[in-house]
Amino acid sequence: MKFVLFGETAPGPDFGSVALVVLGLYLAALLTLGIVAWRRGRTSEEDYYLAGRGQGVLVSIMTIMATFFSSGAMLGVPGFVYKEGVAFTLFALNLPCAGAVIHLFGSKIRRLGRSRGYVTQGDMIAGYYGDTAPMRLLVALIGFLYVLPYVIMQIKSGGYLAQVMFPGNPDAFARGAMILSGVTIVYVLIGGMRSVAWTDVLQGFLLIGGMILAAVATVVTLGGLGGFFAKVREIDPEGLALPGPSGVYTPWKLMTICVFASIGSLVQPAQWMRMYSARNEQVLKRGALIFSIILPLCFLFGVMLVALAGRAIYPPEMMDGKMVAHPHVGEFDQIVIVMVKEQLPVMLGGLGTVLVAVLLVAVLAASMSTADSNLHALSAVVTRDVYDRFVRPRASETERAWVGRAVIVLATLLALWLVRAGQTNENFAPLKMIASLMFAAIGFSCQLLPVTIDMLYLRRGTRAGAVAGMAAGIVAVFLFTPFPDLLIEKFGEAGKTPVADAVNPLKSLFDIGFTGFVVNAAVFALVSVFTQKLDRDRVAALAKEMDGGVQ
Amino acid sequence: MVRAVKAKRSGRILFAVFVLALVMGPGPGIWLVNPDPGDPEARRFLFGVPIVYAWAVFWLAVQGVCIVLAFAGGGRGESAGEGGDS
Repeated sequence: MKFVLFGETAPGPDFGSVALVVLGLYLAALLTLGIVAWRRGRTSEEDYYLAGRGQGVLVSIMTIMATFFSSGAMLGVPGFVYKEGVAFTLFALNLPCAGAVIHLFGSKIRRLGRSRGYVTQGDMIAGYYGDTAPMRLLVALIGFLYVLPYVIMQIKSGGYLAQVMFPGNPDAFARGAMILSGVTIVYVLIGGMRSVAWTDVLQGFLLIGGMILAAVATVVTLGGLGGFFAKVREIDPEGLALPGPSGVYTPWKLMTICVFASIGSLVQPAQWMRMYSARNEQVLKRGALIFSIILPLCFLFGVMLVALAGRAIYPPEMMDGKMVAHPHVGEFDQIVIVMVKEQLPVMLGGLGTVLVAVLLVAVLAASMSTADSNLHALSAVVTRDVYDRFVRPRASETERAWVGRAVIVLATLLALWLVRAGQTNENFAPLKMIASLMFAAIGFSCQLLPVTIDMLYLRRGTRAGAVAGMAAGIVAVFLFTPFPDLLIEKFGEAGKTPVADAVNPLKSLFDIGFTGFVVNAAVFALVSVFTQKLDRDRVAALAKEMDGGVQ
Repeated sequence: MVRAVKAKRSGRILFAVFVLALVMGPGPGIWLVNPDPGDPEARRFLFGVPIVYAWAVFWLAVQGVCIVLAFAGGGRGESAGEGGDS
């Protein structure tokens, strides 16, 4: 078999009609699951946010996986492999780290959450160190900084995907973004965590199937594994070694990304709530095991292979000293879609066209499963950590539930507005800033790691130390975002400010989250030495509960 | 008691091996096999597979074994007390 050239007509039925049918079936299945979950649920806050703390192995692991894998896993990571070659395949080793985090942290978080009735991570951290306003607000701020950019970028991905599925439709982007948001809102609003988790099961299977399907199609098209690796031999020498063609991915940087990207993605609000909602300890242990084995295979033997073949077939080019994707590919993160959309219909005819539509829906599923979990978690954070503490502490459970739903609607509308505004004006500053912030989102989330490790294992930190550490970590990560330069550029040339000069060398050496973590942990430890210790009896009681002394 | 001490010790060993896999896989250990792009004689493939990719697969397998052993050693045993909460 040979690879067809971009633009050749593939046999089989009209792609737009097939895509419409597959998309319709997928959305109908989501809504059905959402309605069934709603009918199974109860009206309590605990049920809405944590599905009554009764999720079994399949639902728990699939919702953790689907939340973890956003559209970045289907498009972004293969895009990096296409751009950087084999160096970025080492990124797959972040997934067992994430599994290890579930294994090490999950049971303790679940036990204490269950015995104390915690819903958000703010409940647990403030419950341990003392429920002061700075503590609650800092934890809520970290959650917010993680969640909002993610929701916005997933909605944006939905729009882009609609453009790929319906290329002749000028309104495809807007309609795609609105349909993704609309359907997501409906099932999150009506069924809460149970709807989100049940739909995540469907979306997770689509995601895993899509990643493997893309690789199988590519390998078969190239004549089996022998033909595939013969093609990979054509990759340029820079693409076969570290630090990759752009010189960015040094071992230290890759190692810190592997550790801190995975940890940051698991101590974020939505994943923390999934640990609370597991039925028992074994659910999380089994989940960690499945997570650590299945997901790396989806990367290393799935979409990463597609991207490696893509690099050999459509090598990136240099333009004005800058690496750009091959003209047939367009953008780096389109490599999987280009490879599959061109080859599957040629290989399998009508069935191939259907599979391409399924694969594109799998990318949509990746976006929706991350957006729904994050919207749901944002609702819990705003309701429990802000509204219930600082706005109306005596609000009833019903009132809080409605506030939570209002947060979901408002956050989605805000995200949609930003995405639409960014679509009509490429230089729309708020969206550009949020897009930049997304890369730092995991870095912000990592700032909960020192308090989490202290709370679960060390138990030597103080309240003042925790607050100072988190604040210092947030500031450190903030310095890596474009915001300081945007603020200072009025006084100098953009990108050449003292802040950029100071952080750029570190940026090229280590992951952002790791740098923030080091600052955070150092400040936390130092301040804890000189400030008032936590009450020993209370810490001992909490430790006993989280270690399994009290069930 | 003896069983708990053994489990703790094996847990620490598994943790150490897991960290070693991180240092050797995506970390500085990669310099042991990383081919020099400027050297035409450098070994870039192992049995036809890019050597860096093969390195990633090997250390991923090591991490996977650690997780499986951790589950077999601790995960199943600790769940015994959870029977009543489903």
